[in-house]
Amino acid sequence: MILAVLFANVEGNILIERFSGVPAEERLHWRSFLVKLGADNLKGVKNEELLVASHKSVYIVYTVLGDVSIFVVGKDEYDELALAEVIFAITSAVKDVCGKPPTERLFLDKYGKICLCLDEIVWKGLLENTDKDRIRRVMRLKPPTEF
Amino acid sequence: MAQPLIKKDDDRDDEADYSPFLGIEKGAVLQEARVFNDPQLDPRKCSQVITKLLYLLNQGETFTKVEATEVFFAVTKLFQSRDIGLRRMVYLMIKELSPSSDEVIIVTSSLMKDMNSKTDMYRANAIRVLCRITDGTLLTQIERYLKQAIVDKNPVVASAALVSGIHLLQTNPEIVKRWSNEVQEAVQSRAALVQFHALALLHQIRQNDRLAVSKLVTSLTRGTVRSPLAQCLLIRYTSQVIRESAANTQSGDRPFYDFLEGCLRHKAEMVIFEAARAITELSGVTSRELTPAITVLQLFLSSSKHVLRFAAVRTLNKVAMTHPMAVTNCNIDMESLISDQNRSIATLAITTLLKTGNESSVDRLMKQITNFMSDIADEFKIVVVEAIRSLCLKFPLKYRSLMNFLSNILREEGGFEYKKAIVDSIVILIRDIPEAKESGLLHLCEFIEDCEFTYLSTQILHFLGIEGPKTSDPCKYIRYIYNRVHLENATVRAAAVSTLAKFGALVDALKPRIFVLLRRCLFDGDDEVRDRATLYLKTLAGDGQVVETDKDMQAFLFGPLDIPLVNLETSLKNYEPSEEPFDIHSVPKEVKSQPLAEKKAPGKKPTGLGAPPIGPPSTVDAYERLLSSIPEFSNFGKLFKSSAPVELTEAETEYAVNVVKHIFDGHVVFQYNCTNTMPDQLLENVTVIVDASDAEEFSEVASKPLRSLPYDSPGETFVAFEKPEGVPAVGKFSNILKFIVNEVDPTTGEAEDDGVEDEYQLEDLEVVAADYMMKVGVSNFRNAWESMGPDFERVDEYGLGPRESLAEAVSAVISLLGMQPCEGTEVVPSNSRSHSCLLSGVFIGNVRVLVSLQFGIDGPKEVAMKLAVRSEDESVSDAIHEIVASG
Repeated sequence: MILAVLFANVEGNILIERFSGVPAEERLHWRSFLVKLGADNLKGVKNEELLVASHKSVYIVYTVLGDVSIFVVGKDEYDELALAEVIFAITSAVKDVCGKPPTERLFLDKYGKICLCLDEIVWKGLLENTDKDRIRRVMRLKPPTEF
Repeated sequence: MAQPLIKKDDDRDDEADYSPFLGIEKGAVLQEARVFNDPQLDPRKCSQVITKLLYLLNQGETFTKVEATEVFFAVTKLFQSRDIGLRRMVYLMIKELSPSSDEVIIVTSSLMKDMNSKTDMYRANAIRVLCRITDGTLLTQIERYLKQAIVDKNPVVASAALVSGIHLLQTNPEIVKRWSNEVQEAVQSRAALVQFHALALLHQIRQNDRLAVSKLVTSLTRGTVRSPLAQCLLIRYTSQVIRESAANTQSGDRPFYDFLEGCLRHKAEMVIFEAARAITELSGVTSRELTPAITVLQLFLSSSKHVLRFAAVRTLNKVAMTHPMAVTNCNIDMESLISDQNRSIATLAITTLLKTGNESSVDRLMKQITNFMSDIADEFKIVVVEAIRSLCLKFPLKYRSLMNFLSNILREEGGFEYKKAIVDSIVILIRDIPEAKESGLLHLCEFIEDCEFTYLSTQILHFLGIEGPKTSDPCKYIRYIYNRVHLENATVRAAAVSTLAKFGALVDALKPRIFVLLRRCLFDGDDEVRDRATLYLKTLAGDGQVVETDKDMQAFLFGPLDIPLVNLETSLKNYEPSEEPFDIHSVPKEVKSQPLAEKKAPGKKPTGLGAPPIGPPSTVDAYERLLSSIPEFSNFGKLFKSSAPVELTEAETEYAVNVVKHIFDGHVVFQYNCTNTMPDQLLENVTVIVDASDAEEFSEVASKPLRSLPYDSPGETFVAFEKPEGVPAVGKFSNILKFIVNEVDPTTGEAEDDGVEDEYQLEDLEVVAADYMMKVGVSNFRNAWESMGPDFERVDEYGLGPRESLAEAVSAVISLLGMQPCEGTEVVPSNSRSHSCLLSGVFIGNVRVLVSLQFGIDGPKEVAMKLAVRSEDESVSDAIHEIVASG
């Protein structure tokens, strides 16, 4: 299960958060834990370089893309390697929508499209689509090219 | 909650820094949402408002019921627009709003229309939305479309239906299970993701059907798997099949090993890791099988990617727990990871090295760890402390440097859990390595001089009271203990008084001085401290004379409480003040076994200072009350033990019956718990006819029928037997449920009068030796064993014949005796050739029993066992041997 996908800006403010299977009362804990993890480790990290951590039996893969840090949390079958696949799909799709690693402003300008991307990639804790070209097309309700 | 984004730097008026959502406010956005009701819809404007709503929701903002309903109804109007971009946003918005079941109906028809649309992508999205908001009734209406969608040529439609299926399986399993033919077809799809989703769903549908899973794995391992994700799933399912078939394969090659080994050469890293993990987790894996997996993992240790290094070291860390020797080749690579920037990787590397290192490398490793400890968080430090504890037990000669390390980190800053882990480790080392005792106790004494945690101080004081008096120079600890009386809070002061009393009781030379100190405590400001001081002065000194402490006093001070605290608490609450004083012997001692759900949780090993495990509140009281309310059983005396319920019927039969065995000194009562699962029947005069011809020592003395057993309302019937007093008599009983059936009129719910006599065959029931044993644990087995003494010790050796594994033999003996395993010794490390297991219990007649078992297994899996029993009664020690000999 993919427990959370979270985007934050440089100051650690949340831009998008999606939880699945995490009780409401635990979300605040996760939010602050992830933001702190990013603040401690993401400084000077290259775009899309994946960092990893584990907390109890839960795995976290996170990275930075432009001005935005991205965190993906998973457990069981979504271990660090599967999460790397998920975050790769997310970063590729966001870059595709924004045309480059986004500034915070650009990210917010494309907010609606980014929400659609996420909706195509992760659906209630399960990975649904991974390919950025397909995601770009299905967001516009066009069938995938290979079809 | 995140703040609404604000301009970062006021000095810069670059517009790029302003957020498009600056100053966004829920009320205003809800006002803006009225554009959804415009007769001439502006798709661009509507999309912008939806984006704002999504932004609010993603920021954790919540809508009231009324607000959400209003927005939802407004959004449904947008189905009128033909704008594709807007339609996609509408789908997302409906999912986010999760409308309630009475609102869903508004969009159902629009979504059903989209589901049959010629535009594929409308279909895919409508499926996802419908499945998110639907309930069981609607699902049956759309089931036909979903089945078609699963085999749709468009992979996005197929995936949408399959992923919906995975979600729906949780809420409507019986419907989704009907789709297995279509899902089976989708597994063969040429589209990579469709195959992945189909495989996941098919496995979930069939997970309880071993044969089907095995067939699925067999066909796919021979066929083509198109995506690495699906390949990973296949590897996982393959290991499951291997695990389940292991019991049936006696010898020869392991099935599917070649497939797993082949996956180690896959081009996708996630597949390689999955295969390597599957191989390392095979039960009874040989070093020949392990080698290729370890080799690929070793290569990843020096990868430039964090995720791969982490995955490799995490897997090797696990392997090191069971096969430390297999990992030693990676030690050099692992040592370089100690300085890895990623602290998770560094901690895993260190703890792996601590498991795989040899005695000569300990000092070098400790030097590296000392530098490392200062810059990691407490949670990582705890892992390292636990690893060091195991290392010290493995290499006891190295205790000096390891103990020094622990005492150094004990002085540094840290939270409660971390400090507790260190203290627990020192305590375990003191218990297991006699040479470490004196230095360890002094480290603990120094720690309590400046300890901010009351719990740890009191636990250490208690431990000092037990171990301190037995050292060569007990008086050196008194100063540390008495300082607590001056400097600490009341809880610690009271614990210090008890510890002083223990020194006084055991060391006669110290007694006069201890009395002086205890007398000073009589003026303490706290009641409990004063009471304890008074009590100990009175009991230790008698009439003020310094006399030798008698045995009763020692038992009072040092004896275990023997009663689960939960039971004591319940009994005290039930006690009503009267002339008759509370009798501690009336408190039940049985530790009730945990409910199944809790048992599944990974067991925590008992830690150093922890009390013996205590079960949840017992149901013994409830049984006792129930039985004593039945006049026929009132003269049976005190209830010794009640068993867990034993099922006498298969699941999902007409009548569900289980039995609880209540053991008394001279009687056994069977309590049959019956449930009638037939809505159209009322059972009357329900009894169980018990045939005890295979239980010679038992004779039936009473039976209490159940007058009426309506549908789905459980009831009990009882049968009581007499047996020789105090004897662990065993036997087999066959049971027939006898009753009068009355048909119930489904319209009125009333039973018809003319009942018919009927019978129902139940499974047989056995009374076994373990029924006469209560599971009662001890916190320190060695101490309990020593204090029991060798007077009634009986030792013998047994051949247990060929066994599947050592673990199986150990668990068979534990369940035969029905005793409580102590100190986690019921767990047998895989591949070990020998094992020691410690058991404790109370036998009928309230006789304490301790058992030490030593097992060995040879090549053809012949298991031999040495059984040593100590108890308070010679005949009970012999009885335990008889149980094993006849079992």
